[in-house]
Formats: sequence, structure tokens, C-alpha cells
Amino acid sequence: MEKTVFIQNLLKAALDAGIEAAEVFTSYRDSFNAMCNNGEVTSYQVATKEGLSLRGLYNGKMGYASTEAYDDEAIGMLVNGVIEAATLIEDEDVQEIYAGDQEYVKIDNYNPELDKVSEDEKIKFMLEVEQKVKNCGDPRIVQVGRTAISTSSNASQIQNTYGLNLSDRDNLAFSYVMAVAKEGDRVATGMGMDFGRDFYKLSTDKIAKDAVEEALFYLHASPVPSGNYRVIFDNHCMPDLMGAFGSIFSAEAAQKGMSLLAGQEGQMVAAECVTLMDDPHMPGGLASSGFDAEGVATYTKAVIENGKLNTLLHNLKTARKAGVKSTGNATKHGYAGTIDIAPTNFYFKPGEKTLAEMMEDVGEGLVITEVSGLHAGANAISGDFSLLSKGYTIEGGKKGRAVEQITVAGNIFTLLKNIRAVGCDLEFFGSSIGSPSIDAGEMTVAGK
Amino acid sequence: MLDKRIAQEVIDCALSTGGDFAEIFYEDRLNNRLSMRAGKVEGVNSGRIHGAGVRVYLGLQGVYVYTNDTSREGLLACAKRAASALHADSCITAKPLAANEYVNIHPIDIRPSEAKAAAKIEKMRAAQGVLSQYNEVVQGMIGYTDSEQNVWIANSDGLYTHDRRTYSRFVVSAIASNGTENQTGSASPGALMGFELFDHRVDPEATAHIAAKQAVTMLHAPVCPAGVMPVVIDNGFGGVIFHEACGHSLEATSVAIGTSEFAGKLGQKIAADCVTAIDDGTMPNEWGSENIDDEGTPTTKLVLIENGVLKNYMIDRLNGRRMQMPVTGNGRRQDYSFAPTSRMRNTYIAAGNDDENEIISTMGDGLYAKSMGGGSVNPATGEFNFSVSEGYLVKGGKIVHPVRGASLIGRGSEILTRIDRVGKDMQMAQGMCGSLSGSVPTNVGQPMIRVSSITVGGR
Repeated sequence: MEKTVFIQNLLKAALDAGIEAAEVFTSYRDSFNAMCNNGEVTSYQVATKEGLSLRGLYNGKMGYASTEAYDDEAIGMLVNGVIEAATLIEDEDVQEIYAGDQEYVKIDNYNPELDKVSEDEKIKFMLEVEQKVKNCGDPRIVQVGRTAISTSSNASQIQNTYGLNLSDRDNLAFSYVMAVAKEGDRVATGMGMDFGRDFYKLSTDKIAKDAVEEALFYLHASPVPSGNYRVIFDNHCMPDLMGAFGSIFSAEAAQKGMSLLAGQEGQMVAAECVTLMDDPHMPGGLASSGFDAEGVATYTKAVIENGKLNTLLHNLKTARKAGVKSTGNATKHGYAGTIDIAPTNFYFKPGEKTLAEMMEDVGEGLVITEVSGLHAGANAISGDFSLLSKGYTIEGGKKGRAVEQITVAGNIFTLLKNIRAVGCDLEFFGSSIGSPSIDAGEMTVAGK
Repeated sequence: MLDKRIAQEVIDCALSTGGDFAEIFYEDRLNNRLSMRAGKVEGVNSGRIHGAGVRVYLGLQGVYVYTNDTSREGLLACAKRAASALHADSCITAKPLAANEYVNIHPIDIRPSEAKAAAKIEKMRAAQGVLSQYNEVVQGMIGYTDSEQNVWIANSDGLYTHDRRTYSRFVVSAIASNGTENQTGSASPGALMGFELFDHRVDPEATAHIAAKQAVTMLHAPVCPAGVMPVVIDNGFGGVIFHEACGHSLEATSVAIGTSEFAGKLGQKIAADCVTAIDDGTMPNEWGSENIDDEGTPTTKLVLIENGVLKNYMIDRLNGRRMQMPVTGNGRRQDYSFAPTSRMRNTYIAAGNDDENEIISTMGDGLYAKSMGGGSVNPATGEFNFSVSEGYLVKGGKIVHPVRGASLIGRGSEILTRIDRVGKDMQMAQGMCGSLSGSVPTNVGQPMIRVSSITVGGR
């Protein structure tokens, strides 16, 4: 069935069945992914994927159902699914379908030129990246682990029975390579990547160079003795750490007793040098959008300002419960997901100092450049983390030797309060979460 | 379902520009999810996943194209797009599709769609009742999920087959708090079963006790000290150590392109004598079991390591070509939106001969990891990490007190050689494993084992 007809029929069927207000969320994705190994294309994927979900209020409760098949059965399945779900729900929190705001900021996240780049050009780019790693001139680079390129073009739409009709479009190209360095029985890997909406600005040189340098640098890495160290998380690593703890800023988590920031609005939750921004209008930002997953207009705010927690992130349900306005942070994990909360483009406001200057101030300590295993080693409910890490020593205020096979452990709530300095080197590495380098004070390290 | 005549047309079309192998994977799946918080049903969500993917090979080149448009025209367009990426001089003709000889070794008693939502909610309430008995447990989340996945697979070798996989899982998470600190506990048993899961495998109340006790124990636990020490890892989810530290490095995904630390080591000693490890997709109704893999190959029981010697890798079709070795029934994918690759199924260290009490009493000072969280690995270097969700400090062979916030790090090859005890009681536990072909259900398992030294991260 043609999609616009399907949606009209679906919304009508929902109202006819006694659903008080209904909303359809659709997503469409066109994607291309390829990988190569030894000059040969080993994986080549092309896809179109489309999905649709219906949510609706029935006897005051919100039910959800979704489908990827737009056949005749689908309308009945969706409407019945919503009604059955709503009938089972006992939670008392009031949910709503939103009629819309007066104005929405227009965001340009779509570059039509990117969709015109041919698959051959993308393959050529990827093979060139692999070739540049191979021909880097250093015999210790023995292999290229994996080279990949991907592009995607996405469209989403929210339509509801109050007449709201919003749509978004974005696209992105992304390429990465993993270089493998070997000397004796030592093996180390390094990653290089680049991303953007202008394919012709992606740099094969940059991707290859970053991967080679990282692999070679860590080839002679070793642990440091266990103990307490002054630690700087650099601008690659800090966004990953913050990403694992994004949910502590969710009002939903707070209201459910799953965030220790509950009730802390107006209090100092971080050091004075810390300002944490949520900016949905950032030009080129991966999470930029004029509206959120409930159709609420988005706006830019400081979540933490000079150490003080200004606000948690809200959707309509949590805002109503807390007696405030939604902060426009409703999100959905894919078209089939229920409404949740997440930051948009989320970053620490940069300070004055370069990483080199921060290292001077620290004197002796560690710079951590990568943490692994965040999905298991970081617990947003307790705030505890204990993570496999690598980086390098700071000796006499300068970059020392490479370090690996250590863990850095701490607690995010303590870490935020102990931050000594925020650097000036804010970056977003293929993510909507960004950070400058952060001097986190003393941390516990397990090594040899 | 996938009509046989259409499947044949799609395969023929996919081979029209000279591919030497073509396959269609067609999927229709119903997912249901219920969640309860503070004793009230909070979320109810149902969804239908529907789509198909066409794969064509030419030598070692593979092309995969997928779509939600499963009409004849949609599938043929998909095949044409796949074919257009390959250009060969000669064409092969696909074999006619044979009859579907489906054998089900994992019988289902009660299909999830036949069980009433009220009955499912009753199980959740039983768990909630238990959580409410713990004063320090301030929040409980209970989840119930089921899924019925129907797949049809046809290929140019004449294969035409299907499988139906029914999954049910029960998840309890508890948060214990003293007002300023929170700690968590969880348990999430599941099986390749319908609603009879609760008759055979899962007691909701016992599951809730495990989650609540873990959260409360950890709330009263001091932080784990950091350092290098002997570690005893208990059975069940403790098997995640083998899964992360070794299992991923035995998948053809990394072996075939030479990036695994175990590449080229078949027949060599890679682990201590007491270690035998198995990956078995045939175990009746287990979480990681199937009848056939997502390439249509019947599932198998595969010995990975026997008394310390590397015996087999887990191999999918494309990597099998690369390695010039036969497939092992390990080709898996999350759904049609992923091309399959080699993945684990039910992977475990086999039972040994050591006494569990002796294992701890002779360990000296170290860590007893009773319950593990998840982890990850870099297969190229073998570096792994995983978190301990319930740990105990051991001094002089005696368990002293619980410790929180521990993690274990190391290299897979080193850990395997440092295993010096393997207990008698092998148990498995359920997880979702993420890799190149998405997230798939896998069992991890082991008896209690002891590793003579591991770096323990703590504070």
C-alpha cells in the first residue's frame, strides 16, 4: 500500500476504534556499507529499510505497536496492538500526544550532493585508505585489520490526529580503518576515522595516518604499577565516558530512582569550571533537530552551569510530573521504540588551556586516550566505573611512554566534582557527544 | 512465507551478472515486550519485523542487499541491485530448489501468542512480590519478552528451508539504595521456548531473590582493591570470560583475515590441559540453539579446544571460502538487515574434576567472582575486559566480605594458559552478543574455574 494512504487509513482506523488521539512515527533509511581486505571488497551492503509505529491514547493510557510490513493485516494489528497495550498499562503517569508548537528552528542536516556519490567512488575511497596504511613505509605495520566505508540517508516523520506533521532528513558518510602493528610477539591496533556530510572533504590521508600512528605508539605500551594517579581524560576518551553516563541527566531515570541527580536541581553537582551544554541546533551536529520525538520544539540550554545543575532533561511525561516544561529531549530508539529521554548534541563548554598546558600543570600523571567495555564496566545507576584503559604517562609535564592493560576506576558523580580543569580542545569524533580534554584529579589505577 | 517459485526467480536474477552463489533470506518476526516498575505494568509494546536480504558471491567478493518490500517485484529489484555490483565473464545456473526437509529438534509447547497477557503479568507480579520483601530495594524493574522468528532460506545450491525460533526471557533488575548510594542486581534467564519457560526453567520468585540479594549485598560492600591476584570465577554467567577472552577470537570473522591471535594455531596447545571448550547449537531449547543457522546449514556441536589443544574455528560460508574450510553451522545474524557471519551459539568450558571448596580454600589471597557482568574484546590483540557484578575478597583461602566495582582485564591467550582449576558443575546463562552481524542470543557457560593471576581493576 502507498505509504501516505496507509498512514491516513491507519489514523482514521485508530479514531474509529475509539483511540482518543493517535500518532504515527515513520522512519526510512537508505544505506551503503562496504569493507575491504587486501585490496578486495569483502563486504558490500545496500539497503532500504522502512518502519512505522503507532502510538495512541486509549482510556487515558498510551499503547504502542509497530510494523515493517505495510499490508492489509498491518492496520488491524497496529490498532489492536495499541488498544491491547493501553488496556494492560497500570502506570499512573499522564502521557500525551502533542498538538505542536508555534515555531520550529529549521535545521539543515541533509546534503543532497552526498546522495549522488556513486558506489564506485565510495569503494575507491575505501581501497585508497587501505592502500595508504599498507604503504605507510613502516615495516612494523604488518596488516590492515578492517577498512570500511558507510553512507546513510535517513528520513523520519511524525503525524498525529491533532494535525501535527513534522519531518526531518539527514545524511552522513563515515569511513574507518584499523591498522595492526607487530614487533616480535607484540601486537597493537590503531583506529583512524573521518565522517561528514561532504564526501569530498573526507580525507584518506587523515584516516590512514591516525590509524598508523596509534598502532605504532601502543606497540611498546605496558602497564604502570597499581596506585593513585592524577588523570587527564583526553578529548577522544571523555565523550565515550560521558556517553555511558548520559542517562544520569534523564528526568525519567531520576523520577524512577535510577539517577543520583534526582532532586539536585539548583545544587552544585560539579566543579565550578564545568558547564555542560545540550545544543540541538549546533550546525553540523549529529543530533541536531528542530523538534524532538514527541514533536516538541527543541532549544539550547546549559544543563550544568559553572558547576550548578540547572535542569534535568525532560520529555512531556516527566515534565508534567515535575511541574515544569518539556526540555525537548524526548527520543526514540528506532521507530519501534517507546518515548524515552536523551541529550542531543551534548558537550562540556571548552576552557582556556591546551592539553599540553594541562599536562604542564599536572606534572606527573596519566593521559587516558581510550576506555573499553563501557556497556559493562560503567554503571549509570551507582555511577561506578572500572574500565580497561590505555594512554600515556605525563613525566615532568611532558608526554611520556605508552600505557595499556590498566584499569581506571572511579565514580562519575565524584569525578564531576573533582574536575580541576577543562581544556580548549573540544571535538566531536563521529558522535553527538563531545568534550575537550578534562583534568579529572586523582583516580585509582590497577596495573602491574 | 517465501514462495518457492519466487525464491527461484530471485536467485536466478541475482546470478545474472556472473555471481557464483546466491541466497535469499526472508524473515517475519513478532516481538512482544512487557515491563513493570514499582508493581505496575508500565510498558507494553509489540512489533513486527519483516524483510528479506539477497546475497551474491563471486569468489571472495560478497554483496548483500536488503529491503522491507517483499513483493515479487521488490525482491527481484533487490536481486538486480545485488547483481549489478558484480561483473564476471561467465554465468552459472542455479540448481533447482529441493524440497524443504525441516526437522525440529527444539519443540515448543505453548506459543507466546497463545499465552494470555494476564498470565505473563502474573509471573511479573510474583517477582515484584519478592522484591517488595527487601527493605533496601527501592526500585524494581521486571521485564518479559518473547519473540517468534520465522525464517526462510533458499540458495543456488538448491537449498530451500525454513526455521521457526521462539524465544522467551524474564528479566529482573533491583536497585538497592541507602539514600546517597545506589547499587544494582539483576538476573535474566531465558530459553528457546514458549510460555512453558515458566514450567521448566524459570521460577520468577527465585529470579527476583537473586537480583535483590545481589543489589543489597553490593550496597554493603566496600570497593574492591586493585592489583594482580588469583581469581576464582563461578559457574553460569562466569562463562562470559571464555566468550570474550577466547570465543570471539575463534570466530572466522577475525580468523579468516588473520587478525585473531589464534589464527594459524589449529592443533596447537593454546590453553591449560584442564580446558576443554565447546560451542553447541544443538542443545535442546537452549537460548543459543537453532535447527539451522541463518545460512540454512544444520546446527552442530563443535569442540573448540580439547584438553588445551585448538581443534576448530567457528566458520560461516564466506569465511569458509576464504579459509578453504567447511562451514560449521555458525552463520548467524540479528535479522534480515545484516549479512550473516560466524557467531557463537551455546559456548562453554566443559566440566572438569576439581572440587569447588578446594578451589577456593587453596587460592590464598584473591578475588572470588560469584557473578559476572558483561565485557568486550579486541580480537586482534586479545585484550579483554569485563565487570564483576558480585565479587568477594578471599584471604588465606577464606571468603572475607563482598566487594563492589571490580573489573577483570587481560589477554585471552594468557588467561587460557593460567587456568589451573576446573570444577565439576557446569551451568549456562543467557546473554545477547553483539558483533558484525548484530545482536544474537548466545549462552555462556562453565563450571567454577580458577585463574592463577589476573589484573583486577578496583579502587
